Amino acid sequence: MKNNADLQLSRRKVRGRSIALLLTGVAFLMPPIAGISLIDSDIGGMPVPMLYLFAIWAFLIVGAVALARPLRETEDTRSATRPTGAPD
Amino acid sequence: MLSINILLVVCLGYVALLFAIAFVVDYRTRQKPISWLHSPVVYTLSISIYCTSWTFYGAVGSAARNGLEFITIYLGPTLVFVGWWWLLRKLVRIGRAHRITSIADLISSRYGKSPTLAVLVTIIAVIATTPYIALQLQSVTRSYQVIAGEADGTTAAFWIAAGMALFTILFGTRNLDANERHHGVVAAIALEAIVKLVALIAVGIFVTYGVAGGFRDVFANVSPEAIRGVGDIFGPRWVTLTFLSAAAIICLPRQFQVTVVENIEERHLSTASWLFPLYMFGMTLFIMPIAIIGLKVMPEGANPDLFVLSLPLAEGRQDLALLAFLGGFSSATSMVIVAAIAVSTMVSNHVVMPIALRLMAYRNAVSGDVRNLLLISRRISIAAILGLGFLYFEINGGSDALAAIGLIAFVGVAQFLPSLIGGIFWRGATRTGAISGLLVGSALWAYTLFLPSFGGDFILSVSVLNEGPWGIEFLRPQALLGHTGLDPLVHAVVWSVGLNTLTFLVVSCLSVAGVLERLQGALFVDVYRSAGGAPSSFVTGMADSEDLFVLAQRILGDMPARRLFDELAHSQGLGSGLPHATDTLIARLEREFAGSIGAASAHAMVTRIAGRQTVGMTELIDIADETQQLIETSRQLEDKSAELELAAEQLRDVNRRLRALDTQKDEFLSQVSHELRTPMTSVRSFAEILMNEDGISDAEREKFVSIIHDETIRLTRLLDEILDMSRLEAGTMDLKLAPMRASDAVVAAIDTMSGITRTAGVTVDFQPHPGDDRISANADRVRQVLINILSNAVKYNTADRPRIDLRTHGDKEAFYIDVIDNGGGVTRDDVDMFFEKFSRGGAADNRDGAGLGLPISRAIMRAMNGDLTVEFAPDNTSFFRLRFERES
Repeated sequence: MKNNADLQLSRRKVRGRSIALLLTGVAFLMPPIAGISLIDSDIGGMPVPMLYLFAIWAFLIVGAVALARPLRETEDTRSATRPTGAPD
Repeated sequence: MLSINILLVVCLGYVALLFAIAFVVDYRTRQKPISWLHSPVVYTLSISIYCTSWTFYGAVGSAARNGLEFITIYLGPTLVFVGWWWLLRKLVRIGRAHRITSIADLISSRYGKSPTLAVLVTIIAVIATTPYIALQLQSVTRSYQVIAGEADGTTAAFWIAAGMALFTILFGTRNLDANERHHGVVAAIALEAIVKLVALIAVGIFVTYGVAGGFRDVFANVSPEAIRGVGDIFGPRWVTLTFLSAAAIICLPRQFQVTVVENIEERHLSTASWLFPLYMFGMTLFIMPIAIIGLKVMPEGANPDLFVLSLPLAEGRQDLALLAFLGGFSSATSMVIVAAIAVSTMVSNHVVMPIALRLMAYRNAVSGDVRNLLLISRRISIAAILGLGFLYFEINGGSDALAAIGLIAFVGVAQFLPSLIGGIFWRGATRTGAISGLLVGSALWAYTLFLPSFGGDFILSVSVLNEGPWGIEFLRPQALLGHTGLDPLVHAVVWSVGLNTLTFLVVSCLSVAGVLERLQGALFVDVYRSAGGAPSSFVTGMADSEDLFVLAQRILGDMPARRLFDELAHSQGLGSGLPHATDTLIARLEREFAGSIGAASAHAMVTRIAGRQTVGMTELIDIADETQQLIETSRQLEDKSAELELAAEQLRDVNRRLRALDTQKDEFLSQVSHELRTPMTSVRSFAEILMNEDGISDAEREKFVSIIHDETIRLTRLLDEILDMSRLEAGTMDLKLAPMRASDAVVAAIDTMSGITRTAGVTVDFQPHPGDDRISANADRVRQVLINILSNAVKYNTADRPRIDLRTHGDKEAFYIDVIDNGGGVTRDDVDMFFEKFSRGGAADNRDGAGLGLPISRAIMRAMNGDLTVEFAPDNTSFFRLRFERES
């Protein structure tokens, strides 16, 4: 069982990473940075702009996968379970 | 060409399957919860109703027209889900704590359970949902036409709308869940989510690898414009679309329904945070290839919105076309079902209920009447919403691109965003601010986007669109204040959402929030801190348990109400009968009702029955003040108590020291008495002999007198020492310190002692420190101390060849004289005893000293800011060390 201070510390850390991921996503998907992908050529048959957008997207998904468990464990989500199967 | 009969049979079979799943799940859930239904995967699949036929058909059309721009519709939600713990988690937590039934309920509940706000949000939601539903009707109709040939669009659309309404009514309103959740529907749309994903990927793979020869072939000889669209792809429109889609995933009534209302466990969000973006990733992976191949293969003028369906048909793959049709059908039906449920809940709770409440107030209450009214009004609302969608489809002519219609809806629901975000993060947001912002935003949305979408056929004429109302160019709907050249969508978003936010902020700052509003605001903003959701301690009122029970029967139905009241009575410790109508109970009931009819209506009904009064503002401030004062007083008391504790501790300490000193003093007195008594006794006895006995020889007499004399000298010296000691200890002896050389003092002391040492045969050796040995001390006293120590060393030395070494050394701050003798040393245990008054070295039994020499020496050294200590050499032999202050 982690103590409270540890939890606070890791929560801050995980939150920081989560914010960093989000901001990175916004920055790379929005102008002006996204404009760097506007090259009229292709890699492996895929046009560069399309490859770029899907790559950033995939990066965000991978980042979210990596952060899902730490976030679930550090953020208080367990107490918030709805009562299930409330009979009519 | 597929035959219509096969198509209808497959469709009906598919619908029957959905029915069966929904029915079985609903039935089973009632027996006991189904575990897989509560998995995060099903939750994520239900969120994927975001991907409607706009995605299934429209994304390809959008990609064919504008290249990669279509991707923005999925990037916004991806970003929102990646940052789930910041916003979505809070929404889900609030939804759970306050039994929120819809986005209108959330906004109304936040702003003091305001019925006005609920109605306003509901109306905007209905209007914004209408084009979206029309979009689904249009896509299903068009896809039907593609397969079944040029059937009559209107008839087809009508029957499709009617069928969807029927399905929604059958499953969305079969019952009223206490938490407004629909397990059967969720299971059905989860299946539909899989079907549409599989269908789109199947078509994509077929087109990419069947029609074309892989990705390289698809993108070979494609102009850059086909990929990036015409003009600046990463421009204002790109940012606007991403923002809109991000807003939509939060604000769309159906998304709110599946993400917040149907959420079972908060942590399911953490899985959805990546699984939902991954789902969209899969849905969009083949959009670009399908669009490009469609443009290449299909004849000029073919509708790109239907490439997903027409491409397999053109290639003779009817099975794939059928699957694509089912995928599109799934996309459309799942959206329509959930949107209709969400919006009809809002309509029945926030529009029908308040009106019915007024009307029913004059009639006799019947058990379950409210519940029945709710069910009926929801059914009618569902039919009406689909009817409106059908009307929009008819008036609009169904000619627009699917994406364009969807975006109109997106901008409409984006109007909720300022009030929603402001409401859950900013306590200062007020009801007036929210209403003003929503009114301004939605009016601008209608004026700049919604009404112009009819192309001059509805309310706004073509001339108004082109020249502005009454010919005022500044007010042209798509170029307000003369801003021409801006994309109409960007224009509408900037004006409507921008002014909405601004109005919301400014009016919130200028207006004053009511009591309930403040309480709700605090509960929403600080939802992680507040345990429950009911501000029970702030409401007071009187109610009759029976009235409350009747009300519960009306809203929840007979059996559920009975069960609830039994449970409440049980929790109050009552065996039978109705529970007591405490404030807590009333608050709990209100929350239960809110789960069925929305917070505003629940509040109104309970208030009517219980005649509850929310406490007034002044009272509230009084309570707050009082609490504040109590906290302050308690804090002060704590401080005082801590101070007292400290003082008491100090007193105890002083007391301990006093007692120790007292004991010392007693011991000292008894020792002094003892020391004085011994010589006194001998003086007295010899004096008595001299007095009483006659025949004493002169020699004897002389001897006795001399003893008496010696003893009195000893007494005097003892008294002198005691006096010295007490003055030194009291600090009243003024030792005049002066600069002097340590070696001088040592030499002088050795000279003084030379007679005694020679007699005793003790060798004295002194090795002076070669450097600076100036100290600050009193020369006479230093000599006294040294003589005392030397005489001790002589006196107690038991060695065969007694020897005393004196060494001096020093550092920056202090200078030392060490006196080392080779006689029996001291053990470490004896050190403390050594400096006690009247103690003598155990080795000697000399009556010469009173045992005050060392204590006095130490007192003198300390009085000169130095010290006298016993030190131990590495070989454990002890020696005396005198420490002096350096001359300053």
